Parts: sequence; structure tokens; C-alpha cells
Amino acid sequence: MDSMLASVSTSVTRGSVVSRRVAVGSGLLAVACVLGLIEAAMPGLPLAPWLKLGLANIAVVVALAVADGATAAVVSLGRVVIVGLATGTLGTPVGLIAAAGAIASLGMMWALSSRGDAFSLVGWSAAGSAAHVLAQLVIAGPLVGSWSLMALAPASVLIALPLGALTGYLARTIVSRLTER
Amino acid sequence: MTRADRILIAVLACAALLAWPLVASAGVASGEAVIEAPAGRTTIALADDAIYQVAGARGTVVVEVADGSVRVLESDCPDQVCVRTGAVSASGSVIACVPNGVVVRVGGGGSDGLDARVR
Repeated sequence: MDSMLASVSTSVTRGSVVSRRVAVGSGLLAVACVLGLIEAAMPGLPLAPWLKLGLANIAVVVALAVADGATAAVVSLGRVVIVGLATGTLGTPVGLIAAAGAIASLGMMWALSSRGDAFSLVGWSAAGSAAHVLAQLVIAGPLVGSWSLMALAPASVLIALPLGALTGYLARTIVSRLTER
Repeated sequence: MTRADRILIAVLACAALLAWPLVASAGVASGEAVIEAPAGRTTIALADDAIYQVAGARGTVVVEVADGSVRVLESDCPDQVCVRTGAVSASGSVIACVPNGVVVRVGGGGSDGLDARVR
């Protein structure tokens, strides 16, 4: 009897953990898509028109902080596919470059987040942002048939670091509000 | 921000600063710029005002040199990032049109007293 109750309560707990993850993941995916679409419609930064702020990454960082790497991957890659479909860039070079950036950023942030408390959300996001721009320039090389785009790499990384730190700070602010309750 | 965050960000920023002169103005003399296109590489003098028609991967990129600076006047590309970059003249400046695979790099160094400039 006891063991049956225990197994029922275990399955209920496991079920609610899965439900919570699905709910958090899909909610954050929706947020990431809206931010991604807003950003797709905006021009680049004034001094560096090839770069954008990376607002959608806020949702990925929050997913990594309140859920796990798998949820963050669904939010990040789901966003790339949905925004790609909506803007007609899925499967085009622009879409491939976006996907490469998202995967590199996700990998970097997941690696830092799995090191316990050594790095905070600000560090994850800043390094993820740098990985994002570098991966984009690397994948753009074969697409345009020249490695000359790597000339943009140092400037891109220098601009990406503070922008990534900013979105990481925004994500941290959101996470602190979420976990207070 | 944790201590590890600050160290990581500082290391990445230093690496980018050190790499800048190596990749941005490498192999380009002072007062010159290079246009790298799918068909090859052209060196141009910033002192001579001129307009260059560059064949890109999607269409033509028009590069203008005027008053010692270089800019992309027009380009067959969807987002026009290269055109919106505007005119550049500082050493290490880069204009890129990713869809066309065309990159303009300004060479030299020290002429304006700066090692590099963030654009």
C-alpha cells in the first residue's frame, strides 16, 4: 500500500516537473519569437549595422537559469526556425548564419552554466554573444567564398561583449523577479 | 557579475583588441584600401577620388572614394548594411557586404594618431 502511494506520488511529481518545463519552455519560446521578430524588423546598431542587440537571447538565458539546457535549446532553436519561417529566411544563407550563431551561443552558455555558480547570467550572456558573432562570421566565410569577413571579428566581439552583458543583466533581473515568489 | 565573469569578459576583450591589427589592416599600406570580392582583390588609393564597380556574388557593389574616405554607394543586397555603414577612413575600418561577399578594408596605421577605432 505504502509503495503504491509512493509510486503514485512519484509519478505525480514527475508529471508536474515535466508540465512545468513544457509550460516554461513554450512561454519563453513565444517571448523569444516576439523579440526576434521585433529585432528582425529593426535596422542594425548605428555604429555597427551588421550587429543587433540580441534581445531574443534574454529568453534563452532565462530558460537556462530557471529550467535546463534542453529547454534553452528548444527556446533558442525553435526561435530560429519560427522567426526564419516568418521572415522567409529559413534555409537561406541568412537563416544558416542565424542558426550557426544560435547554436554556438547556446553551446557556450550551456558550458558556462554547467560550471556551478562560477559564472553568472551576465557572464553566460556576454560570452554567448561573442561566440554568436564569431560563429556567424566563420559560417559566412564558405557562404560568400572568402574569409575576408573575419576582418570584422575583433570589432564584432568588442561590441558583442557589452551587449551580451546587458541582455544577461536584463535576464538576471527577470529571473530574480520570477524566483522571489 | 562574479569574478569569473569579469575575468572571462576581460580575456575575450583583450584577445579581440590584440587580434584587431592582425586581421583588419593586415597587408594593406597606409593611405590605401583593399576591396576583396569573389573574383579577387583590388588595391585602391584613398587619395584618388574614383568610383569602382565591383562584381559581387549577387550583383554589383559600387564603391566610392572621395575626400580620402571610402564608402559603398549602392549594392544589390537585401539589408543594405554596407551602404548604411557610411564613409570610413580610419586605419582598420571595415565595410562588409555579406550577401555579395565583398569586403573593403582600410590599411595603414598611425596616420591619425590612433591604433584602432571602433566603428
